[in-house]
Amino acid sequence: MTAPTHDATGGEANARTHFGFSTVDLDSKQGLVDDVFHKVAKRYDVMNDLMSGGLHRAWKADMVAALNPSPARTLKVLDVAGGTGDVAFRTLKAGGESTEVTVLDINREMLAVGRERAGDRFGDRIEFVQGNAEALPFPDNSFDAYTIAFGIRNVPRLELALAEAYRVLRRGGRFLCLEFSNVDMPGLDKIYDAYSFHLIPAMGKLVTGDGEPYRYLVESIRKFPNAALFSAMIMDAGFARVKARPMTGGVVALHSGWKL
Amino acid sequence: MTGQTDAQNQDNPAHPATRLDPRLLELLVCPLTKATLEYDAERQELISRQARLAYPIRDGIPIMLPDEARPL
Repeated sequence: MTAPTHDATGGEANARTHFGFSTVDLDSKQGLVDDVFHKVAKRYDVMNDLMSGGLHRAWKADMVAALNPSPARTLKVLDVAGGTGDVAFRTLKAGGESTEVTVLDINREMLAVGRERAGDRFGDRIEFVQGNAEALPFPDNSFDAYTIAFGIRNVPRLELALAEAYRVLRRGGRFLCLEFSNVDMPGLDKIYDAYSFHLIPAMGKLVTGDGEPYRYLVESIRKFPNAALFSAMIMDAGFARVKARPMTGGVVALHSGWKL
Repeated sequence: MTGQTDAQNQDNPAHPATRLDPRLLELLVCPLTKATLEYDAERQELISRQARLAYPIRDGIPIMLPDEARPL
């Protein structure tokens, strides 16, 4: 089961991508990423708390606030790479009965955690689907919003994921992406380096018993395109009014765009 | 809402966890061809005729990955 899930989008069998600081075949990246998340699924949200000092909650709350789900209107949201349900639950709580969220994740363990946490709280307003962000199993123009929090940098081919996001959104649909970004505050960058390269893998080992997955996470953050470059990619996918809002000194950015 | 087969499955108390939400059936397409799917309630599979693949549903979660699908 080493094989990639992107045969059909194909033609790039020998292409290379980054896996943390290693360069790997595009096809093996997905397997390596899967392995990382298999290892950490159960403790994923705990680690997020520890790694971000609880800030990931504020960042996600900001994304949901930007989405602005409301009982006053119906909203169909696709939350990609959201297996553990964190963003979906926030969205459903804010939006109430008229909001529906489909959670898609490539990783079974993450989805299992999410579904268990959801329980019966949201009835059939939440659905869980295992799938690949590069080849979404949804029709064109089927969602009002696409959200992805700290997931897109794990997708081997960003441009495919963005094209699929655009395809499944209806006209007037919103794209929101929360991702680590480039720290641009003098001083903070050095602290952030020391923290992320040394402390995070150490914490990962302590909490999940394995530091390697977290070494990958940190390295993958550094390899991700900076906010300006990623914004350009979002525009290339067809989105309009593309914005990147840095948060916490640029540790994270909220990227957004509209399908108009 | 479609999904008569799902209603039957839902009535089966032995497999409450395996029932597929009818809303999902309406929502999903084949990730390769983007064509609609047929639901095989007995085998718990979603069938893509064009791609000749049967996507499994495990614990009520459809697995829409060609790698995990059964070739037809």
